[in-house]
Amino acid sequence: MLRSIASTTALALILSGHALAEETTHDDHESVTLYRVFVGDHADPKITAFDLDKPDNRWTFETKGQSKLYGVGEGAAVVAVQSDGDQVNFIDSGISLQSHGDHSDIDIEEPEALGETLTGPRPFHLIDHAGKVVINFDRGGYAEIVDAHDLSEGEVETVRMPQARAHHGYVAPIGTGWVTSVASDAPVEGDKAPERVGLQPVAADGTPTGEVETCTAIHGEAFSGAYLATGCKEGILTVKAGSNGPEFAMLEYPSDLPAGETTGTLIGSKSMQVFLGNYGAKGLVVVDPVDEPHFRYVELPFRRIDFALDPANARFGYVLTEDGTLHKLDVLKTEVTDSAKVTEPYSMDGDWNDPRPRLAMAGDEIAMSDPKAGLVRRIAKETLEETGTIEVGGMPYNIAVVGGSGMVHEGEGHDHSGHDHSAHAHSHGDPQIYKGYFEDSQIKDRPLADYAGDWQSVYPYLQDGTLDPVWEHKAEAGEMTAEEYKDYYTTGYRTDVERITIEGDTVTFYRDGKPLTAQYSYDGYEILTYEKGNRGVRFIFEKGEGDAEAPQFLQFADHGIFPAKASHYHLYWGDDRAKLLEELTNWPTYYPSSLKPDEIVSEMLAH
Amino acid sequence: MLKPNTLAAASVLALTAATFSQASAAELNAVATFSIIGDFAEKVGGDRLDLTTLVGRNGDAHVYAPKPADARALAAADVVLTNGFGLEGFLDRLIAASGTEAAIVRLTDGIEPREEAGGGHYHFVDGEAIFHAGGVNAHAWQSVANAKIYVSNIRDAFCEADPEGCETYAANAGDYLAELTALDTKVRTAVEALPKDSRTVVVGHDAFGYFEGEYGIRFLSPQGISTEAEASAADVAGLIWQMQEARTAAVFAENIADSRLVEQIASEAGTELAGTLYSDALSEPDGPASDYLSMMHHNLRLITSALSSD
Repeated sequence: MLRSIASTTALALILSGHALAEETTHDDHESVTLYRVFVGDHADPKITAFDLDKPDNRWTFETKGQSKLYGVGEGAAVVAVQSDGDQVNFIDSGISLQSHGDHSDIDIEEPEALGETLTGPRPFHLIDHAGKVVINFDRGGYAEIVDAHDLSEGEVETVRMPQARAHHGYVAPIGTGWVTSVASDAPVEGDKAPERVGLQPVAADGTPTGEVETCTAIHGEAFSGAYLATGCKEGILTVKAGSNGPEFAMLEYPSDLPAGETTGTLIGSKSMQVFLGNYGAKGLVVVDPVDEPHFRYVELPFRRIDFALDPANARFGYVLTEDGTLHKLDVLKTEVTDSAKVTEPYSMDGDWNDPRPRLAMAGDEIAMSDPKAGLVRRIAKETLEETGTIEVGGMPYNIAVVGGSGMVHEGEGHDHSGHDHSAHAHSHGDPQIYKGYFEDSQIKDRPLADYAGDWQSVYPYLQDGTLDPVWEHKAEAGEMTAEEYKDYYTTGYRTDVERITIEGDTVTFYRDGKPLTAQYSYDGYEILTYEKGNRGVRFIFEKGEGDAEAPQFLQFADHGIFPAKASHYHLYWGDDRAKLLEELTNWPTYYPSSLKPDEIVSEMLAH
Repeated sequence: MLKPNTLAAASVLALTAATFSQASAAELNAVATFSIIGDFAEKVGGDRLDLTTLVGRNGDAHVYAPKPADARALAAADVVLTNGFGLEGFLDRLIAASGTEAAIVRLTDGIEPREEAGGGHYHFVDGEAIFHAGGVNAHAWQSVANAKIYVSNIRDAFCEADPEGCETYAANAGDYLAELTALDTKVRTAVEALPKDSRTVVVGHDAFGYFEGEYGIRFLSPQGISTEAEASAADVAGLIWQMQEARTAAVFAENIADSRLVEQIASEAGTELAGTLYSDALSEPDGPASDYLSMMHHNLRLITSALSSD
């Protein structure tokens, strides 16, 4: 009797996050909602992170100085910009959301600080747009550009864009080019900051590609829809990509707005092309970059501390004023529709960076830091009622929330969980199918001919160390060490069948050079849903004529779900069709016998 | 413990009055999500209809960023006409933001969906490739038989929302359906007249699956290209090999898509672009595809002349 060598060792690849999350059934997937809050302390150089619904899931990250926090790359990473500490830290948020058209998938792990940091003179504004994370170094005279996708894979590689003169500004991608804010070249006294005069199109190396567009005292910027909007003394300058580079339009402040005020802070809606900006200390403007009136003005009863737009429902924004009242703003009607006292008063007198609450949206809630109380308050966005508080300690200040709702995927024994490179795969068709996300209707029966050929087991290469570079590579991007990967795959690859040939309906197994042969015919497919939510399909063949010791059933898994020639496959075999489906830890793996060991290594590295 | 305390919203000044419902002489206020549906709606609604079309002529519904005015239009509408099949990714959030109570009508109801080859397709916007994932090909209107289902669904939706106008809608729809039937026959006849081994063309994104399924013109399009820069020699070579297999040199641009990729393909195949097909949006009124009927005539003319002239 030929058997695959089963093992009782199963490594849990995935950490416990989702077990703690709220679960509802949706088809045969598992839907999970999880928001993870990152809060920077005002005084101490540290960040506290916790899961909103299970704040006992808590982590602390050391920084160099006080952090302003940004969730970037759909929340896959959190960037901690420490202006006074001259440093930028990156944290893998542990949550990745991937949209698949009609639904999203969520992957939940522990957050983890990335080893690499950026250091430089006074990092400040951060822009996260079009796959780029751009941090301006106000006293360095340059911006550092990080690829958001690389960041979500834990890699921090930067490209530096020089600016003509150091200033408190920003650099942003627009279409295929860039724009940078520009400082006046007039001399200044001491370390006084230079005047800021406008925005200029530049190439990736900082070379100007167009004239400076006037935007006096440029400050505050946001993206929404096709537009970048930025605050100026004259009005709000909008920029969008055109066929011949950026197209600028200055929306001047209309005469019916209170004179002498300007916009210096802007946020952009994620689901409607509209911006919310301040207008002076007590005013707000809803800015429509296309239709007139471009400005709709609301005056608040007190000075504004912070504001946020709801990414889930573009209609509403939320504004906290210094009397400790939270206002719900109807963006379409441009009026405050509800207000509620949510904390003690925090005067706007004093320095802009004095400890005051900050807002962040978290699904149906607003998470608000409350530095004096040492809390993060949870406020229902519908009613503005407090639904709970989370003790953080110290002076919780800047806040970022990542997460959302999605289908959970839990690991096949296989490490396709992480951020492998198949998002750009060319060789194995649809990367989502490769990762195990597909619809039942996409699955088609497959012939044995898909697996025809002469195949070698990769287990001997694992044993002799040939595959060690593969484990090193996985460890760089994954959550285990190279040694742990090797152990894991040792369990997976283990087999004493060193070679398999498949020709027509005849399959021959070679163990110690001795063949076992039988005919096999197609016996349908089975869909497996792994704990992690992704799925796999096994194409099953049943034995007809042949050697008695040949297994009754073969189950092929090769990441494909419809007819296509397999480039490698995992094979499960045995006499009990149903029981074999439960085998998840031992998956003998075969590559074409024509491949040399180093070619197998490069194939594996490419995944 | 702080108690939430509602502050009178009256202390807040709203300087700009919102205009939510605009007075209109028309009997029925409808929103169409994009230009082709908008054309159908106008044909059926006639004078009784006040129509707002969200994604206008030459616009791409896949990547549309809705505006506040769109939310206001939805809020004021009696009926919202949508394509469905995942075309209008922006719509659910726009509906939520608008708070509209209008009937949301999916015009592809009753149409058998086609699977999207390769699990989705790419759109090229400002030089960037945007992958539009989706198991279903959304471009159902590219089959005239399906267009007739759209029109019937619009008629039914309008009758429901405005029963007094039902007779008018039914009469308008009847006239238009007859024109569509004639168009359908014309397309079949024209394709039938082509040599059987000369029915393959190349486009940049696979918007013509329903046309292919209905009329038997085969549309090749590059697959597996995630950015323009990655339209590697191998990808293009593969497509050119397919073109040679099918003995076609008919490569078309599309009105909503960046033509650089298909230009590259045409150039490597030693040919020139055979014109611009209209797939997802109408042209400007003075263009070759000012409404659905002229769009289909235009596409048919380009395709048949490219395939019969070689």
